[in-house]
Amino acid sequence: MIGMIMFGVALIMLMFGFPVAFTFGGVALVFGIYAEGMDLFAFMPYRIMSVMQNTVLMAVPLFIFMGVVLQRTKLAEQLLTSMGRLFGGLPGGLAISTILVGALLAASTGVVGASVVAMGLISLPVMLAHKYDKRLATGTICASGTLGQIVPPSIILIILGDVLGLPVGDLFRAAVGPGVLLIGLYIVYILILTRLKPQTAPAMPKDDDSISRGKEIRDALLAIIPPLALIIVVLGSIFTGIATPTESSALGGIGAVVLALIYRQFSFKMVWDAAKDTVSVTAMVFAILIGATAFSMVFSYTGGDYLLEEWLLMLPGEQWGFIILAMLVILILGFFIDFVEISFIIVPILAPVAEALGINMLWFAILVAMNLQTSFLTPPFGFSLFYLKGVAPPNVRTIDIYKGIVPFILIQILVLALIVIFPEWFGMSSTY
Amino acid sequence: MYWIIKLDKSLAWLSKLCGVIACLAMILMAVNVFYDVVARYVFNDVSIAMQEMEWHLYSVVFLLGIPYALRTDGHVRVDVFYTRWSNKTKAWVNILGALIFVIPFAYLIGRYGYSFALDSYQMGEGSGDPGGLPHRWVIKAVIPLSAVFMATAGLNMVTYAIRVLAGEKEYVGEHSAGGLA
Amino acid sequence: AQDTFTLKLAETWGPNFPIFGDATKSMAQMAEKMSNGRLKIRIDSANKHKAPLGVFDMVKAGQYDMGHSASYYWKGKVPNTLFFTSMPFGMTALEQYAWFYYGDGMDLMQEVYEPHNMLSFPGGNTGNQMGGWFRKEIKSLDDLKGLKMRIPGFAGEVFAEVGVNPTNIAPGELYTALERNTIDALEWVGPALDLRLGFHQIADYYYTGWHEPATELQFLINKRVWERLPADLQEILRVAMRTAAYDMLIHSQHENAKAWANIKQDYPNVQIKNFPDDVFQAMYDANQKLLKEAAGNNEQAARIVKSLEDYQRDSRAYTRISDNAYLNTMAEIE
Ligand code: NA
Ligand code: NA
Repeated sequence: MIGMIMFGVALIMLMFGFPVAFTFGGVALVFGIYAEGMDLFAFMPYRIMSVMQNTVLMAVPLFIFMGVVLQRTKLAEQLLTSMGRLFGGLPGGLAISTILVGALLAASTGVVGASVVAMGLISLPVMLAHKYDKRLATGTICASGTLGQIVPPSIILIILGDVLGLPVGDLFRAAVGPGVLLIGLYIVYILILTRLKPQTAPAMPKDDDSISRGKEIRDALLAIIPPLALIIVVLGSIFTGIATPTESSALGGIGAVVLALIYRQFSFKMVWDAAKDTVSVTAMVFAILIGATAFSMVFSYTGGDYLLEEWLLMLPGEQWGFIILAMLVILILGFFIDFVEISFIIVPILAPVAEALGINMLWFAILVAMNLQTSFLTPPFGFSLFYLKGVAPPNVRTIDIYKGIVPFILIQILVLALIVIFPEWFGMSSTY
Repeated sequence: MYWIIKLDKSLAWLSKLCGVIACLAMILMAVNVFYDVVARYVFNDVSIAMQEMEWHLYSVVFLLGIPYALRTDGHVRVDVFYTRWSNKTKAWVNILGALIFVIPFAYLIGRYGYSFALDSYQMGEGSGDPGGLPHRWVIKAVIPLSAVFMATAGLNMVTYAIRVLAGEKEYVGEHSAGGLA
Repeated sequence: AQDTFTLKLAETWGPNFPIFGDATKSMAQMAEKMSNGRLKIRIDSANKHKAPLGVFDMVKAGQYDMGHSASYYWKGKVPNTLFFTSMPFGMTALEQYAWFYYGDGMDLMQEVYEPHNMLSFPGGNTGNQMGGWFRKEIKSLDDLKGLKMRIPGFAGEVFAEVGVNPTNIAPGELYTALERNTIDALEWVGPALDLRLGFHQIADYYYTGWHEPATELQFLINKRVWERLPADLQEILRVAMRTAAYDMLIHSQHENAKAWANIKQDYPNVQIKNFPDDVFQAMYDANQKLLKEAAGNNEQAARIVKSLEDYQRDSRAYTRISDNAYLNTMAEIE
């Protein structure tokens, strides 16, 4: 029960505004010492070491570095505003461009911290400068930055493949449909919203009234090429096997510096300042990971995992009741608990039940993955929200981000429901 | 007050030193990974030592980055109330948080991290993979080292807050990473 | 009433990891039943302790009472732990178990673990591991030169000697790396566990094993904990570990046979290959050279290597005229 109380206390403590990472770590420390004694924390070096040796997470600083360089050299702005111009008088063009760039990043990494922060650096300042509504801007970034979890390659899918004993390739293929649908619906949402409330996402002003639409498009296309080429290098290096997804992020960072050279924006000071920003933001992300690992350590060593297990075994033993309740449970737990914990603690308990009910495990895995992706977005503990807040200007408040994400969570739930009801749309069946 | 200001500045200097080392590691890491990709693809040459160097550098980036970000107020806060509070209230939040959360947390990581690294040193631990890096204790020792700097950065939060309480400094924005984007 | 003991065990594997994890669970169940509930073993999987390769240190330091892992993982810490899992061109499971229980195996293993306050016991065998998944066929030594392969540990060093580039890839990126030719080949375990990762969908050539003919896992116990147990519980634990180990060997055989039948039926593209003779010879020579180097500067290593070699020679001579002869004869009439 201690684990549950700890969550409540952490929630209250967060409101005092002390840094999130140390609030998690500190609350864990107080509860951990109270329940198990100091020696529980002898496990901490091992847990930190496992973060150090998790080379997939190396993509975080590397992608952030790329994002910072693109931002400092104004290349990101050029990419997004040009893309926005392509949409001409259409309001919401920048938001749609953000979603598209987010989708590209999602295809190159499965690490949420990397893509949310990179997207935050690249597109938040541009959207705010163009008078976008703060909530729309932050919601769009959090949602599209988190797409990496469902669009392959994806860490959630790899972990679920391991836990459920499914081939990773099958999972990757099955996740493409839902991923594409999500991207599509995000865009549809932006289109509808901007039709109803154009002031939330003003259309890009024309460069100059005299130039023709044709020339505008040509200019915009030309301006997009360099940063787009960079993204293609990153993605291309993965698809051709030149680099692993993690390594591709280094190609992106070095490539951004090369672009800066070409555009005469390069200086050693620029690189050094970019490194400083990168270190600061990376530290913010990893401090949260370390604080959270202390938190989940105390949670599980004080018996929280056994308690969850007990509760889950009370789920109904009939297919639809089971699916709906299981999804609800994961969604709610996702508000509080890290997705890795859910994959390892909860999924193994649910899996045998699902199997016994004749549920198609591939379908089940995709449902769980969608659900866990959503958990990155759910206030108050959604990590994507913290990450974006960490790079946002002070006038973007936590509460703006919390409110901005709500429509996107609803879209997530809609897609989840569609997969539940119409698995055949996604090339799957719900049973064997 | 004079010695508080002096202490505050010395502690800040330590955190900035961490930042400089982390920045160097950051740039080296990007070059390291880039080099490994080029070496493997163009020259078909793989060095496990160089591959291991990647995560050694990456560990330095975030482990030493954490104390640096504490000084630059780069760690994200939930600002529902915090931004509305006066400098004085903020100072108290930071003093209590540093004393109850940061410093004890750093102490425990440092204490157990020290034996973790020491054990590795005594066993002469190295990589188990062909051509891997020796002296694993070096990178393991960065854990307690980071904890020491985390503690000094925590203390630094307190000294800064005292300066704020004395009316000599104030909190600008709620975190300086803001404005990054 | 007699005292009850609850031992905490950390395993290297994730929860529900098949075969390996089953060995730990069956050991714990047997110990509890045989002791009438006096000996309970609580298993923490890697998701809980987050230190799959920290099991050695955690049991040594007493943070856990027991561990379930594989001895060769500690090669970077204590080089001579290498010899108690499986060696390239080494013994089969049957031969190696004979070495452990009737030869010098157990004594030598205790000698190596003693300075670290631990006891180590055989912890279950995977049987002969497969030589790995290759995207192109290996027809000669030249095909191995510059081949990028994920193969860790001692076998990686042997491969490096014959020109392979052993490459580190995060386990989470293995599938993508092989699919997109970032690496050319990789070694995992055997059909049952490889099937879960889907390598058969992207690589056509599945090579037979040479590098880990009988991978033995281990149970580790902190020495102080062991000495605290009364004699009867020590014996119960010993029997439970030995039975669970043997059970894992036959469980592996069962699951691998089942998985192989599936692969054969669903993925007819997969071809089983043996390395050509000259490749085999070169790897064997490389192995001998590395073993000699390992034994050369360490007295304990030299004794262990000698014990392994002597035992293998005699044991193998008998295997040849018994199991081997039988299988050969059978192969002709089948
Ligand atoms: Na992805
Ligand atoms: Na969450």
